[in-house]
Amino acid sequence: MERETILSVRDLDVKFNLRGRKLNALRGVSLDLYKGESLAIVGESGSGKSVFVKTFMGLLDANGWIDGGSITYKGDDLAQYRTERQWLTVRGKEIAMVLQDPMTSLNPLKTIGAQIIEAIELHQGLHGDAARNEMLSVLTDVGITEPERRSRQYPHEFSGGMRQRVVIAIAVACRPKILICDEPTTALDVTIQAQILSLIRNLKAKYDLTTVYITHDLGVVANVADRIAVMYAGDIVEIGLCEEVFYEPKHPYTWALLSSLPQLGVKGEPLYSIHGTPPNLFYEVKGDAFAPRNPQALKIDFVKRPPYFDVSPTHKARTWLLDPRAPKIEPPEAVRKLATEGVKGYA
Amino acid sequence: MMNYIAGRRMASIRKRGSGRGFDNSMLKYCVKRLASSIITLLIIITVVFVLLRQMPIEGYFDNFEKADQATINAKLEQLGLNDPIPVQLFNFLKNLLKGDLGTSARYSVGAPIAQIIAKKAPVSIKLGVLSMALALIMGIPLGAAMARGKGRFWDKFGTVFIVFINAVPAAVYHIFIQMYGTSFLGISMLFDEANLVTWILPVFSMALGNTAYYAMWLRRYMVDEMNKDYVRLARAKGVDSRKIMMRHVFRNAFVPMIQYIPTSLLYTVSGSIYIESLYSIPGMGGLLVDVIGRQDNPMVQAIVIMYSCIGIVGLLLGDLLMGMIDPRISFVKKEGAR
Repeated sequence: MERETILSVRDLDVKFNLRGRKLNALRGVSLDLYKGESLAIVGESGSGKSVFVKTFMGLLDANGWIDGGSITYKGDDLAQYRTERQWLTVRGKEIAMVLQDPMTSLNPLKTIGAQIIEAIELHQGLHGDAARNEMLSVLTDVGITEPERRSRQYPHEFSGGMRQRVVIAIAVACRPKILICDEPTTALDVTIQAQILSLIRNLKAKYDLTTVYITHDLGVVANVADRIAVMYAGDIVEIGLCEEVFYEPKHPYTWALLSSLPQLGVKGEPLYSIHGTPPNLFYEVKGDAFAPRNPQALKIDFVKRPPYFDVSPTHKARTWLLDPRAPKIEPPEAVRKLATEGVKGYA
Repeated sequence: MMNYIAGRRMASIRKRGSGRGFDNSMLKYCVKRLASSIITLLIIITVVFVLLRQMPIEGYFDNFEKADQATINAKLEQLGLNDPIPVQLFNFLKNLLKGDLGTSARYSVGAPIAQIIAKKAPVSIKLGVLSMALALIMGIPLGAAMARGKGRFWDKFGTVFIVFINAVPAAVYHIFIQMYGTSFLGISMLFDEANLVTWILPVFSMALGNTAYYAMWLRRYMVDEMNKDYVRLARAKGVDSRKIMMRHVFRNAFVPMIQYIPTSLLYTVSGSIYIESLYSIPGMGGLLVDVIGRQDNPMVQAIVIMYSCIGIVGLLLGDLLMGMIDPRISFVKKEGAR
């Protein structure tokens, strides 16, 4: 199936300057985002998930910069954008974002209504009563009852889940093409998480959005994603359709990640955890970044960085295991179990 | 510093609820807050009053050395100083309510204290208000520019300025300002109320301290706010950085600043000892030191009480202003709320 690419990233390098030392936060990441899809980017803390999506909007911290590669959106290379003026044509208008912590992502001194209207005035060109009505309808869309009264209230009068709805309302009020959700449910309690996820899903359909989730919660992924990209040490090591990554993972890091799902553990046994720590990105990483933590790493993993090998037209992974010359190494038992039985609540 | 105490008070304000505007709950709060201010004031008056009764009685006479025992006793009786202290305090409070602060004993013999202050206060108040306005006009843009261009020119310039003002004794730069300023403007060293040019240097000198103070705190609060998530969200929704600064960062950073302003205004209008003596301005600045030196007990008492009043009113205004601009501060007690 041919799909329309909305955003295309090629060999993106991002570096940070930390007290004179250079950190390679992203090491040649490539990704095609398809129109209307829902992509989840998973990976542990520090793997570069957030940095990666921030580059789409020019929101890197002041000490970070794009060192190479391209981000093509509507024929423009966003990686070449330098001025705030250029970025303002993208932020909100084309790509909007939902942040992780709703408790802090609203301005405490402005009413909910004013904060949504700010986005509407910027991106829909409505003012006065028209903007107000639009604001009320967006509030209704995100499931806030009595929008008239609620819009005059301040963030501290809202609960966490309600605030996240408001944050989503602000993002949607920008009428973006792409919605990035940076760990949208991490700060919420479990009962609210499902509501928020289904809300985002409904809005995606209603406003014809392409959504990108960043998360380390595989439960969220299974719920919302069409495709999964697994990031490790500043690179996407495996990407494929949700079922492909869950049931036929190819990269040893994906295996390790799935094995550490608590639901796959055996009662009484210690929970699987990945040994060691991620590589120090202050240095050039040689070979496969995951090799030092992989007990079954091949010799070549330490020498040469693997290319992407296609598993299927939609599924590819960066591991030498997929090379025809590689020895056959079976995924761990937990992963095989997942493939045959599935896990309650997952996929 | 009273300003720090003002900062402390914040904690006692309830951070919840939704009472907005000057409604009933706000009125209730004002009344309560006023009542507690009055109690504080009464306690201060009592303490000051009792302490001053422990001072030598010379402080009530302009010619104690030459007076004989009979004259002294007669005078003490006339002033009511032989009464028990509670009675004296009660009489003092009664007079205070009528606006009578007593009469000066040595500073300006027999003159009502209220009159002495009324004569000296206007010039101090005018200078103080002007210097305060100047401090706000200079300090707030400086602080905002420092926060905006963190690490760049204005930040470095402001840091040097703030460190200079805080580290160098005020006496040193005030003298230099007077020396070079007066010769630059071609005016005499002394203040002349009728000549507006002579107002420039004292006002400027008085404003320097507060300018540095506002710039320092505003920069600090703005930098704090700039790193908050709601600023990140505003950027992500496509607001340009100038508007982010004005609409989002500045207003939030100004909340903790606003409560200092009444207090520092009131202290500024009560006069600066050093500046007033430097330019020989007939203000109130040196009055307290002066009357302490001359052991004028009634005047020391009156002026100390006046300063306490100023402090208390400043804190009160600060709290009320905060409540008006920060919606999170509520004036109603919520039973059972977290």
